[in-house]
Amino acid sequence: MLGRLERKYDVVVVGGGPAGLGAALGAKEAGAESVLVLDREPEPGGILLQCIHSGFGLHYFKEELTGPEYAERFLTRVVDHDIDVVPDSYVSGVAIDSDGSKHVRVMHERQGLHTVECRSVVLAMGCRERTRGAVRIPGTRPSGIFTAGLAQKFVNMMGYLPGRRVVILGSGDIGLIMARRLTLEGCEVMGVFEIMPYSNGLTRNVVQCLNDFGIPLHLSTTIAAIHGRDRVEKVTVAPVDKSFQVDLSRAWDIPCDTVLLSIGLIPENELSQNLGILLDAVTSGPRVSSTMETSMPGLFACGNVLHVHDLVDFVTRESLLAGRFAGEWARDIRRPRDNIRLVPGDNVRYCVPHTLSPEREHTIYLRCKEPMKPCILRVGDLTEKKLRFVVPAEMIMMTLKPDALERFHGDTLRVDIVPGKSAGDDAGDEK
Amino acid sequence: MTERREFVCIGCPIGCPLQLTHEGPNIVEVEGHECGRGAKYARQEFVDPRRSFSTTVVIHGARWVRLPVKVSRPVPKEKVLEVAQLIHRLRVEAPVSVGQVLLADVLGEPGIEVVASRSMPRVD
Repeated sequence: MLGRLERKYDVVVVGGGPAGLGAALGAKEAGAESVLVLDREPEPGGILLQCIHSGFGLHYFKEELTGPEYAERFLTRVVDHDIDVVPDSYVSGVAIDSDGSKHVRVMHERQGLHTVECRSVVLAMGCRERTRGAVRIPGTRPSGIFTAGLAQKFVNMMGYLPGRRVVILGSGDIGLIMARRLTLEGCEVMGVFEIMPYSNGLTRNVVQCLNDFGIPLHLSTTIAAIHGRDRVEKVTVAPVDKSFQVDLSRAWDIPCDTVLLSIGLIPENELSQNLGILLDAVTSGPRVSSTMETSMPGLFACGNVLHVHDLVDFVTRESLLAGRFAGEWARDIRRPRDNIRLVPGDNVRYCVPHTLSPEREHTIYLRCKEPMKPCILRVGDLTEKKLRFVVPAEMIMMTLKPDALERFHGDTLRVDIVPGKSAGDDAGDEK
Repeated sequence: MTERREFVCIGCPIGCPLQLTHEGPNIVEVEGHECGRGAKYARQEFVDPRRSFSTTVVIHGARWVRLPVKVSRPVPKEKVLEVAQLIHRLRVEAPVSVGQVLLADVLGEPGIEVVASRSMPRVD
């Protein structure tokens, strides 16, 4: 039900985006009697509500949906499961009693300050966008510089156009999708500039969002300066060398009134940090066990607050699992502690979860550092998987069967991606 | 006389560079693909390239001032901007429910509809 706020719950979920809604459903299905979802926005659904393009749900709903459609279907399930969803509420902290009960401090827009008691908490706060300061773009500080996701909310929900002539920095999917979106709204997109030698977005988006509309993508190129006193007037762009130093002798100017930044996302972990939860320096998210439990007992994490995903379907899958274990925790079901550490090796930037237990099947998520094709993904000497290609923009998902882990007697498993020939054409297996 | 057209496959992140050779409207061969999807994609792009897309329309009496909408079936690629402009002329009054048809038979093609991508209740 929407809007009710009781004093006591089994499970409280912080964040009502796809991760929070998935976790709430997972907790309820695992037998938690009462589940509360808190969200600071006026309605649940998270960033899905502004992602009006399609491409969501192919794995989970087996059909291609837009973001708002995915959110609405999911929310219907949540409300059908008698889960309380309270929007307009901001969680300012969580206190943990000596008996393990948690007290979630909530500021609600109209109802004021509340403390909600619960047995387990799922952190599902998502992530926020990196801004100009994170990449230190030189130049003046005029208006007209936006993160791509903020511009997306302005255009798709609030009905504001950020400008008319737009330059986009960063080729992440949000930047590519905004290039098409603004073109459809009548803006002139002057180009997309990417400092890396490859695109950080899906090929599909490069083709359908840029090539279809004749928008140029400049690789190994970045914005060297932003000009303009009150409003952006032009940007200077320049190619970079292998160590990412700009070559100003080959720079050129582009007149524009707007700069969109699509330069990465950071998990939003202030709440986790205040709690003293251990974070992973690479993902910027909590370190979690195979039950998605953080370093604090009874506190779980899932979705983009844990590590940045590229498919919402994977967020849903991970969150249902986190919710399930949070629900079990609330019912006093305790799983044996994990006894295997998962460690990133060659060409692996990170893996989640950080530890495993031999008692169950596991899905591990990882990202590579550099594009490679063809290659072999190895988990210790237990199992390997041939991959036709890996790119940093595509998260890799791998299932580990319990029988593989049963034969393992060490305490550390190293995950490597090494060059290797793929046998035959196994394209049919990929999505 | 044979001519060549180039495409980038969108089937997966490899993005195979595809070369399609044709004589007028007849496809002679497709090269550059690492799997069957590439060949199929290049043929479709040559014969009848189509795109689905989403945009928004003005809505009155709802929490937000824009309602997300999508085309129910792909439209010819070169008509995307034209159809977007057509959709932008729509004005909608809340409440709206997801899947509601806002415009039927777009471009005179039966089956191509503009539908709401979400529900928006009336807020006064």
